[in-house]
Amino acid sequence: MPIRRYLRKAYTSFGTHIYDIPPRMFAFLSLILFSLLPLFNLPTTMLQPLISLNFITVLAVSWDFLVRSGQASLGHAIFFGIGAYGTALIFKYLGWQPLISIPLGVLSGVGIAFLIGFPCLRVKGPYFAIVTFAFPVVMTGIVKYFPELGKDAGIKNLPRIFPTLTYTQRWLAEYYLSFALMVLSAVIIYKIAYSKTGITFVSILDDDLAAKACGINVSKYRIMAFVISGLFASLAGGIAAHSDLFQRRASPTFLSSTYSFVPIIVSVLGGMGTIYGPLVGAYIYTFLDSFILKSIFKIDDFTRTLIFTVIVVILLLKWPRGIGRTIVEKLEDLEKPREIEEIEKEKR
Amino acid sequence: MRLLEVEKLTKRFGGLVAVNDVSFQVEEGEMVGIIGPNGAGKTTLFNLITGYLKPDSGKVLLRGEDITGLPPYKIANKGLVRTFQIVRPFRRLPTIANVLVALQSYRGRRRIEWIKTPERKAMEMLEDVGLSDMALEPAENLSHGDLKRLEIARAMALEPEIILLDEPFGGLNPVETEYMVKSLQRMHLDGHTIVIVEHKLHALMKLVKRVLVMHNGELIAEGTPEEIAKNKKVIEIYLGKAI
Amino acid sequence: MIDIIILGTISGIIYAFIALGFSLIYGVSGVVNLTHGAFFMIGAYIFGNLYKLLTYSIPSEFSHLTPIVALLATAIITGIIGCIYYRLTLHQVLGDEVTILIVSLFGCIIFQQIVYLIMGPVWAAQYPIPTIISETFTLWNVNIEIDRLIAAIVSLTSFIGLWIFTVKTRVGTAIRALSQDLEAAMLMGVSIEKMYILVAGIAAGLASIASVLKISAYSEPASILMWVEYMAYSFSIVILGGLGSLKGTLIGGLIFGYVYAIIESRFPQAGSLMPIAPFIIMILILVARPKGLFGKRIEME
Repeated sequence: MPIRRYLRKAYTSFGTHIYDIPPRMFAFLSLILFSLLPLFNLPTTMLQPLISLNFITVLAVSWDFLVRSGQASLGHAIFFGIGAYGTALIFKYLGWQPLISIPLGVLSGVGIAFLIGFPCLRVKGPYFAIVTFAFPVVMTGIVKYFPELGKDAGIKNLPRIFPTLTYTQRWLAEYYLSFALMVLSAVIIYKIAYSKTGITFVSILDDDLAAKACGINVSKYRIMAFVISGLFASLAGGIAAHSDLFQRRASPTFLSSTYSFVPIIVSVLGGMGTIYGPLVGAYIYTFLDSFILKSIFKIDDFTRTLIFTVIVVILLLKWPRGIGRTIVEKLEDLEKPREIEEIEKEKR
Repeated sequence: MRLLEVEKLTKRFGGLVAVNDVSFQVEEGEMVGIIGPNGAGKTTLFNLITGYLKPDSGKVLLRGEDITGLPPYKIANKGLVRTFQIVRPFRRLPTIANVLVALQSYRGRRRIEWIKTPERKAMEMLEDVGLSDMALEPAENLSHGDLKRLEIARAMALEPEIILLDEPFGGLNPVETEYMVKSLQRMHLDGHTIVIVEHKLHALMKLVKRVLVMHNGELIAEGTPEEIAKNKKVIEIYLGKAI
Repeated sequence: MIDIIILGTISGIIYAFIALGFSLIYGVSGVVNLTHGAFFMIGAYIFGNLYKLLTYSIPSEFSHLTPIVALLATAIITGIIGCIYYRLTLHQVLGDEVTILIVSLFGCIIFQQIVYLIMGPVWAAQYPIPTIISETFTLWNVNIEIDRLIAAIVSLTSFIGLWIFTVKTRVGTAIRALSQDLEAAMLMGVSIEKMYILVAGIAAGLASIASVLKISAYSEPASILMWVEYMAYSFSIVILGGLGSLKGTLIGGLIFGYVYAIIESRFPQAGSLMPIAPFIIMILILVARPKGLFGKRIEME
């Protein structure tokens, strides 16, 4: 019965219904593939976009989780930036090594998530989006103004997490570290989203007035979603700041709109609201972006951004129900609690 | 014992007085109906009692405890549960998940007997209203009648002290209406305290022993269904003064 | 002190005019169209190109009319772009909040990239808009730049013109009816769809005029990224003044003008923080008093 179900519910949002690839299986297979890929002696230039992919995926999955609780943030980069600056500042002023500074940076990320979450609670829908859009912009302005925060250049020369490896080993290590981060984040967020707490989040998305009538403290759950989402995104930022991919510095680029928008692009491509959709979407995006468009067709940055934004807009316009359908259908795949199966077996 | 006491509730919207100095009590185990023409303020009254609106003056007491102006989720957790006139299911979630959400509340989690799991309890609620075969359907696929029943299942999952139903018969065909009448009678026999706001007088009058009549925000009459049916003022407000 | 009052009023009116388009759209249709910011940017680039074009084509006796013609043409073109854009995109997905937000935000990016491709990297970064007049005159010891004064006068006139339009004309009254009661307007035979498209176009046209006025008066170059700044102005002023209230927008803009004037004259070192100031103000307001000063639309709850 489950397999038949998967075959029925294919992605209608970008046409793999032709092959009826079961979505979760697809994500799982890609994970296996990508965990083994680098062992095939890939050149560093190919490894780099894959490392970036892992970070983007964490951002995308955490953003998707937030959307699933009814809060569509347009400024997710704020957490990426806070994680990065958090660990950088701790290193700069206290000298502590990454293994300590990163978790502390994440704690500050969580703390800021609380602070941001409270005012965001008071505003709904569009205002929430605008306020979230404003946060990274405001932080960018602040960071560029104060020399203590590194101004435009940022805080440089952050230590590596694995200081003792050779050049090629370093990139491999970075890849596996980011990969581990990505898998950890995706699995944890997935487990939360598809649990009983997870359906409470969706209930807030669907109808928060009804949720209140069911005794749900909507504000508490909203902040919870914000904090969980912010935790993983700032963890990504903290680790990224120490990576060679980001020149081991915490700079305003961490707050740029790229890191707010690409998670959205990726989530829409893969199926918004599903948690594993962004995973698939990230692979598709990276594959198209870095390998096909950039390397083969040699299209420049600007045009590539244009192409993807147009694709996303078209996807959202043509299949608004399509994306929504995908959410509904995937929610039907909600793990049927084992107890119900037992009850139904008892009846027979 | 007095389960619910409403004292002099008043709510104004700009120049309009939607609810004007309304007071009444509900005893434990009673089934009370509130009727009145459109715009009489019945739903506003509900919203005031259940915390969706803050009254300008007056009090609401649940078992003697002042719950006036508390946020809706706290009132629900204290045992005063409501349904909505226009159904508000969680559309994306399967039917059983709708009930499971209610069981995620503070009250829901506290009151599950240690033998049962939330899933079992949710299935029981669905069986009580006859929706158990739709358990895994997304709520948006359910018919209107089914959704009305889901509202009740969801509310009952909280094991309420008192349940306020806002037009439970709205939009139901005669078969569904009969089924709803039987369900509510069963709930009443089980000892639940129920307050029903309703339009369909014939269904309501069969069910309840006491009726309150509202008009223009005021409580203008109170009595048994028979008394109310004969009350001149009540007839007037429903049929107009020409009679 | 008097310099703050005078300069603040002048710039305040200009800021209010900037926010006007967004106030109109939101007040009428309740649609939060984030793409609105892009029309400021588009208007500026269209104006610049038209101006160049016209200086070659218009005979010299009429050359002093060039700016006015260019401005009007820009407004019309941008307005049409606004209508078409709205019809193609947001109109399809009205009612789906999340989609509207994402689509309209991405719309800004798309316009940004298109202008980049058309104008090239140099103009995309900094595109100078011709300054019309550049003299100043002094009044009560305050240096007032004439082009800013004229911009303020034009803004105020447009404000009043729009107000008259919504009160006296049939179309305008229909727009007002929409913002007050959608269903009643439908019953009265107002075609909601056409109205939304019309309002989208008007707002875009207004945005282009306001943008040209401001950057020409303040001698700022246009850039493809300017939509962020103008979006910030629009939102914060409308939120400050209260949603759905034209009067609120005017007063909100004036407050902005005074605050900016105070900062400019007393705290010039905070200059580089200026672009993000509207966002900070907006966040503070949403936290403290989401309704704004004269807000009419109340978010349920």
